[in-house]
Amino acid sequence: MKNLQHKYYEYYNSNKGFFPGIDINWLNDLREKAIDQFQKDGFPDKSVEEWNNFPYKDLTNNYFEPLSDNQAEIDLNLIEEKDPNCTIRLIFFNGQIVNIEYNQLPKGVEVNSLTYFLKNNPNFLKDKISSANKYAEERLSNIIDSRPQSIVAVNTAFHKEGAVIHIKKNVKMPGYIELMHIGEYNKNTMQHMRSVVYLEEGADCEILENIVHDNVSDLVFTSNVTDVHVSDDASLSLHRFIRGSTNQIHINNIHGSLHENSNFLSTSIINSLGQVRAENRVNLLGENSSSTIDILILGSQNAVIEGLTRVEHSKKNTKSDQKARIVLGENSKASFQGKIRVNQNSDGTLANMSSKSLLLSDKARVNSKPELEILADDVRCSHGVTVGNLSEEQLFYLRSRGISEVEAKKILVNSFGNIILDKLSDNLIERAKKIMLGYYNE
Amino acid sequence: MGTALQIKNLHVEVNNKLILKGLSLNIEHGEMAAIMGPNGSGKSTLASVLAGKEGYNVTKGYIKYLGNDLLKMPPEDRAAAGVFLAFQYPVEIPGVATSTFVRTSLNAQKRNRGEAELDAMQFLKLAREKAKQLEMSEDFFQRAVNVGFSGGEKKRAEVFQMSMLEPTLAILDETDSGLDIDALKIVAEGVNRLRDDKLSGIVITHYQRLLDYLQPDTIHILAEGKIVKTGDKSLALLLEEKGYQGIDGAN
Ligand SMILES: Nc1ncnc2c1ncn2[C@@H]1O[C@H](COP(=O)(O)OP(=O)(O)O)[C@@H](O)[C@H]1O
Ligand SMILES: [Mg+2]
Repeated sequence: MKNLQHKYYEYYNSNKGFFPGIDINWLNDLREKAIDQFQKDGFPDKSVEEWNNFPYKDLTNNYFEPLSDNQAEIDLNLIEEKDPNCTIRLIFFNGQIVNIEYNQLPKGVEVNSLTYFLKNNPNFLKDKISSANKYAEERLSNIIDSRPQSIVAVNTAFHKEGAVIHIKKNVKMPGYIELMHIGEYNKNTMQHMRSVVYLEEGADCEILENIVHDNVSDLVFTSNVTDVHVSDDASLSLHRFIRGSTNQIHINNIHGSLHENSNFLSTSIINSLGQVRAENRVNLLGENSSSTIDILILGSQNAVIEGLTRVEHSKKNTKSDQKARIVLGENSKASFQGKIRVNQNSDGTLANMSSKSLLLSDKARVNSKPELEILADDVRCSHGVTVGNLSEEQLFYLRSRGISEVEAKKILVNSFGNIILDKLSDNLIERAKKIMLGYYNE
Repeated sequence: MGTALQIKNLHVEVNNKLILKGLSLNIEHGEMAAIMGPNGSGKSTLASVLAGKEGYNVTKGYIKYLGNDLLKMPPEDRAAAGVFLAFQYPVEIPGVATSTFVRTSLNAQKRNRGEAELDAMQFLKLAREKAKQLEMSEDFFQRAVNVGFSGGEKKRAEVFQMSMLEPTLAILDETDSGLDIDALKIVAEGVNRLRDDKLSGIVITHYQRLLDYLQPDTIHILAEGKIVKTGDKSLALLLEEKGYQGIDGAN
């Protein structure tokens, strides 16, 4: 493992001249610090608490060659058409931007690739791409443990592309923006995307990150890290649909800073057959800010899917809600780690967390860990975890009304995720339902 | 007339414990039969076996419904053949709207019988009509099945489902418990509205009041897993006066 770590380090050093933004000092510094951190920490292993649910053996025992910049080849006609509710769609193929579609760019909305911004407006990105440790957890002893953010360090050092979305003051973006990431990799490769979402005061925007790594013939390691800034009175929905074949290893991080009276909603629907880890680390930095994070995990075959949410309440009267619904069939495994931290003086905090799992097979495994760290006095928190199988009582009730066994099971599995789907906007609910219906089709 | 349901010498084990011990009962087309009996005597067990719940091991005897061997049919086929159980404890199904549930049920039964399904508009029209008869507000169409319903609402929802599905054998398992006097009347009227010479009924109850409304043709006392006494309405009155202790064989 140390050897492999060193190989990445060497690759970085001999290729860093080719990373985008090489002439931008602050970005260079970020990359250098990040590779040093990775060189020190390595991939997170079992000794790192947030990573001890599953051994990421495929990730740590293989070397993934950073994908070189050869022309991405894809027939755009083969990609499903842009959803009519979608106002702007960016398509990335194997990590490169291949298309930006819109009828008319709404006023006050800037959307383009990371490389475009690095070339044309690098100052805008300064301080918006955060260091690998900005969202790392501070231990009670005030020491920052950087190891859980090791993949973010890899991403920070190696990222080559991504999306930048900038919504100006009081602009309400109509419809939604889709960031579609199509991966059709072969050979053990790695690919890291870094995105920035910046909402100015009073702005309002909905975004879907749609990751489709279906045709992957060898193990592929990808990461997407998105730095999110929601200014006072702004409202952001940032959702993820993540789908992939058995060879997908994907680590996805959303890092959010929420300011006064702002709202953040993030719904992740993950139905990969591979190994996926989706994190949300959100800091409630302004009074009356609120964060809702929902995760729906649909596991089958040998999938290993992890959801991690960490919400830090740092100001008065902040609200958060974290919900995980996990359905697992066959040999699939999942974990949900939900953390709430309420800092001193963040009185009036309201924080809820719930995790429910439905196991459809004897071999499926789930591990749910709620964690509360409360340093303020006036706080209302709740958390609940349940794990169960399909209920015989419910099945019988449905069948006694004439519904066949197969149909009854479908109804129960599909209804399990409804509490999460029902919160989605009209823009996306039908797409989400389609994923749910496609998952369980015995 | 003629026999609709024939239960003969039924022995049923639950978790290796013999609960029904040789129960026999015949019900004619159009007959309304009441079953009364002490708690734990096996009334709900009989209802569950009729509807086809798993975990009930029939060790002896048979059940014939309209000439079919009921015990060989899965629950959904029994429903399509006209069997309806109003549950003593209706089951909550979070995430499924009541109207979706009833429409899926109705159309599944129709498909099973080779009949034309109802489209959304036809269904809604019918559902509105039935809800109105049962004095139910329409908001419950969109509420998840039985979730957050009061005891009375659950029972009323069972009768709503029944009136939508139009069974030929209705089994009401303590549908009257948890209902106040007004609700009881509405529910009883709902059942009576469905009655014709094709609907047979088994009404499980502890109370005379429901029987006053339904005027059953026969009354059976179930005790210790068997029908120990059969009679007409006067048996219920006797029961009310003397309790199960006062009835031969019922203790
Ligand atoms: N799932 C079960 N497992 C074990 N015993 C059961 C189960 N269901 C019912 N019983 C037992 O069977 C007997 C009859 O129960 P039940 O049919 O519910 O009676 P009733 O409806 O007449 O009150 C009781 O002794 C009860 O404890
Ligand atoms: Mg009972």
